[in-house]
Amino acid sequence: MKPILLQGHERSITQIKYNREGDLLFTVAKDPIVNVWYSVNGERLGTYMGHTGAVWCVDADWDTKHVLTGSADNSCRLWDCETGKQLALLKTNSAVRTCGFDFGGNIIMFSTDKQMGYQCFVSFFDLRDPSQIDNNEPYMKIPCNDSKITSAVWGPLGECIIAGHESGELNQYSAKLFDSTTLEHQKTFRTERPVNSAALSPNYDHVVLGGGQEAMDVTTTSTRIGKFEARFFHLAFEEEFGRVKGHFGPINSVAFHPDGKSYSSGGEDGYVRIHYFDPQYFEFEFEA
Amino acid sequence: MQDAENVAVPEAAEERAEPGQQQPAAEPPPDEGCCGPRGPALRRRQGQRPLVRRWRSRRPGRSRRARPRESGLGTSAPTAGAQAASEDAGGNEGSAAEAEPRALENGDADEPSFSDPEDFVDDVSEEELLGDVLKDRPQEADGIDSVIVVDNVPQVGPDRLEKLKNVIHKIFSKFGKITNDFYPEEDGKTKGYIFLEYASPAHAVDAVKNADGYKLDKQHTFRVNLFTDFDKYMTISDEWDIPEKQPFKDLGNLRYWLEEAECRDQYSVIFESGDRTSIFWNDVKDPVSIEERARWTETYVRWSPKGTYLATFHQRGIALWGGEKFKQIQRFSHQGVQLIDFSPCERYLVTFSPLMDTQDDPQAIIIWDILTGHKKRGFHCESSAHWPIFKWSHDGKFFARMTLDTLSIYETPSMGLLDKKSLKISGIKDFSWSPGGNIIAFWVPEDKDIPARVTLMQLPTRQEIRVRNLFNVVDCKLHWQKNGDYLCVKVDRTPKGTQGVVTNFEIFRMREKQVPVDVVEMKETIIAFAWEPNGSKFAVLHGEAPRISVSFYHVKNNGKIELIMWIVTREMFDKQQANTIFWSPQGQFVVLAGLRSMNGALAFVDTSDCTVMNIAEHYMASDVEWDPTGRYVVTSVSWWSHKVDNAYWLWTFQGRLLQKNNKDRFCQLLWRPRPPTLLSQEQIKQIKKDLKKYSKIFEQKDRLSQSKASKELVERRRTMMEDFRKYRKMAQELYMEQKNERLELRGGVDTDELDSNVDDWEEETIEFFVTEEIIPLGNQE
Repeated sequence: MKPILLQGHERSITQIKYNREGDLLFTVAKDPIVNVWYSVNGERLGTYMGHTGAVWCVDADWDTKHVLTGSADNSCRLWDCETGKQLALLKTNSAVRTCGFDFGGNIIMFSTDKQMGYQCFVSFFDLRDPSQIDNNEPYMKIPCNDSKITSAVWGPLGECIIAGHESGELNQYSAKLFDSTTLEHQKTFRTERPVNSAALSPNYDHVVLGGGQEAMDVTTTSTRIGKFEARFFHLAFEEEFGRVKGHFGPINSVAFHPDGKSYSSGGEDGYVRIHYFDPQYFEFEFEA
Repeated sequence: MQDAENVAVPEAAEERAEPGQQQPAAEPPPDEGCCGPRGPALRRRQGQRPLVRRWRSRRPGRSRRARPRESGLGTSAPTAGAQAASEDAGGNEGSAAEAEPRALENGDADEPSFSDPEDFVDDVSEEELLGDVLKDRPQEADGIDSVIVVDNVPQVGPDRLEKLKNVIHKIFSKFGKITNDFYPEEDGKTKGYIFLEYASPAHAVDAVKNADGYKLDKQHTFRVNLFTDFDKYMTISDEWDIPEKQPFKDLGNLRYWLEEAECRDQYSVIFESGDRTSIFWNDVKDPVSIEERARWTETYVRWSPKGTYLATFHQRGIALWGGEKFKQIQRFSHQGVQLIDFSPCERYLVTFSPLMDTQDDPQAIIIWDILTGHKKRGFHCESSAHWPIFKWSHDGKFFARMTLDTLSIYETPSMGLLDKKSLKISGIKDFSWSPGGNIIAFWVPEDKDIPARVTLMQLPTRQEIRVRNLFNVVDCKLHWQKNGDYLCVKVDRTPKGTQGVVTNFEIFRMREKQVPVDVVEMKETIIAFAWEPNGSKFAVLHGEAPRISVSFYHVKNNGKIELIMWIVTREMFDKQQANTIFWSPQGQFVVLAGLRSMNGALAFVDTSDCTVMNIAEHYMASDVEWDPTGRYVVTSVSWWSHKVDNAYWLWTFQGRLLQKNNKDRFCQLLWRPRPPTLLSQEQIKQIKKDLKKYSKIFEQKDRLSQSKASKELVERRRTMMEDFRKYRKMAQELYMEQKNERLELRGGVDTDELDSNVDDWEEETIEFFVTEEIIPLGNQE
């Protein structure tokens, strides 16, 4: 089916995220705008204005009341999802790289870059205690000296976070699937280009990988050689069964719709594309 | 320095002195208890002695020769004796040296005594001392090296002797000054052989080289030899020594790969930028690895023309591998070797190295015997030559090279010039052997009023079987059809009165009487030309970059050359171009490819019914390789030409993609060649006739292996799925266990399923403004 093209950013997309129900899609880019869209037709619902630098990360809590964004303007902001009002501004010493709500939506976590003489920190705030936000004092702050955190997510029940480091485990050329409790390596999906993002289908044994020739080399190669396609692999067999073309730069972020009937990708080219799957996708099955 | 030596010696000498005198044997006494430090001291002293000695012997005013004579000892004693003698001498020497530092210590200003003690025996030979000077000592020459013997000289009486001498002198003084001559006589007539002496041996060698075989007249052809050679040949014993039998090395069946039941082919792959080399069986499913080695070669590999050997390149030379386990079969040591060429019969190997060449020892190009591993002959390399410098005739009997105005043809196994003479062909530009007979084709450009000409010459008779004169020629290229049935000479001409270059193809029909020639005129520039290997068609790519066309011609039996197909590649490829032609080794099928800058467009063409079977693309492909049977084609992107997406893809001859093999930094794929078929033409015809019968069997086999393959795959997937299910079950159980915790965290709202809390949903109607526009998508059929 023809993809829906979301043209709301002027710079390359850094992250995209569905809310839990999947009716909304949050997108952030290297411009200061945070957009929220109706995933069903790609109409823009609104923007969250306030950041003054590239926005690296976005997250919404489970009941879509709050939205959290982290930016290179050395701040992490909490928004009211519906009104777009800025609820909290958490100043940091360096750029905020990752952020997230825990399962219950009460605790937020964000990590800051190792930058300008400041080291990398992971900070935790409890939203139930307004004084923490007012004083900009996290109840917990974990320093991380070795190499900076490039990606961090909450564990299933908010009892831990799993962080990927710059020098980290995650191989650049292959996306790996790990067991979230034991952190055991489960599967490897091989591509011939760097992988920037991966997402699991909620109702099929599929995984989608987004990536492509590194952005800095893109000008020297044609789109065909860059391989900026989203690539679908079978989760268990590690076999590729489909590709979706469209971006003309590497894909920086992919996300499955929670109902598994569509997925979205955000690229270095500044576009977000919402793809609804054709009926063949649902009919397709590996012979086994 | 002197002090140091002299100081070091005494302490050693002191310790040594006693046993040395008591026991002048080479071995020190074995009782270690009382003389612990002796061992090391002894060693040190021995190590130092030559230094001391040398220094002494250079003393002026000392007659070294006189000493041994005085003492009555020879200068060169046998080793054991020398050792004993030196022990003695050492003792004395030591005591003498011992005295010196003492004198110094005492502050005695007198010149220290450098004299050897009375009974000093000098045992250093002169060669040891100044061998380098002695080597250059003038040798007494008896002049025998400068003497030559000339046979087959006319036998004359004294009346004509003077005249003969004059003639001989005239011929032989060319090579140097003749200092002496001798004409043996018998019964008043000369004996028919003479002796001549030159001023230097070099002249004599020169005379032998050049005057041997000189034709004086019809009856007399000189045979010239060095006098010393007579000596040499005289001493050859009459009995023939049977050469020692070389043990037979069983290399196994070097052609085992031809006996493979499935009739699969092998290929070599170099990858990881040359660090690893693998040999594979080609298979429709997946390549089957036979051998993989790290650093097997330092640059690249080559198969021999019949596929028996695999040659690897090393700094030190070439190695040949073969047999089932790819064991090393032969080594050829040629420092810095860069290029090699096999003779078509696989009997000889030609190697080239830019190092090592010297004036008197030609080593730039070496021809080796592959079976024995011996060097057959070395050659100098003229600059500005193109490899292969030596071109082999189809059967390996002859090889030829071209130098300025000459064509030198050598014969095997002697490696000597054919008929001892090179061909003088002034202005020769290029030559080429026929692949189907010992015929050489060469061309000579225009020279003033003489037109350019292409000549076909039969060998070894050197008979010119066809000469074709051409006018206003700029350049010629010689293209032989693989069987030698046809020769195409691509002639670029600038006819008078026209601008630019016009190209003609001159087609020589080699198998017909008088070798008739037909001309095909081309109006556009030629990009590529290729003969069908086992047929009478040829393909031409012509035109300028945005509009390149391909034309196929058929040379009919009656000599008519018919254009059978003409395609503009741009239309065929959808805006892409082709720049190279690859015929299947069996003919009929052809792959047109736009390699490198042309993005890797591929067209698979069947020339029998002139159809394009498939259009495909291997983006940035740099190479196309047909397998030796013409069943498969490999296209590849080599790391040598392009740094990303290095891979080789396997296609059927019809252009159906079978495999994509990505290899890290893949460099080169080479199919292992097959030797020519042993079947006769009739047998091949018969097989083609009964093809239906065979194909049934093969189809059945294919189906079997296919179902087997899919069975295997399904089996593998099934086990993977089983593992995955187990894992997921475990994860799900864990997930269910945590349900209460989840509920608690989200305030009792069940969010496990998207619609699990559907009761709490508020319905909200949102209105979208949608504009519909219908755009027809081209003309769909």
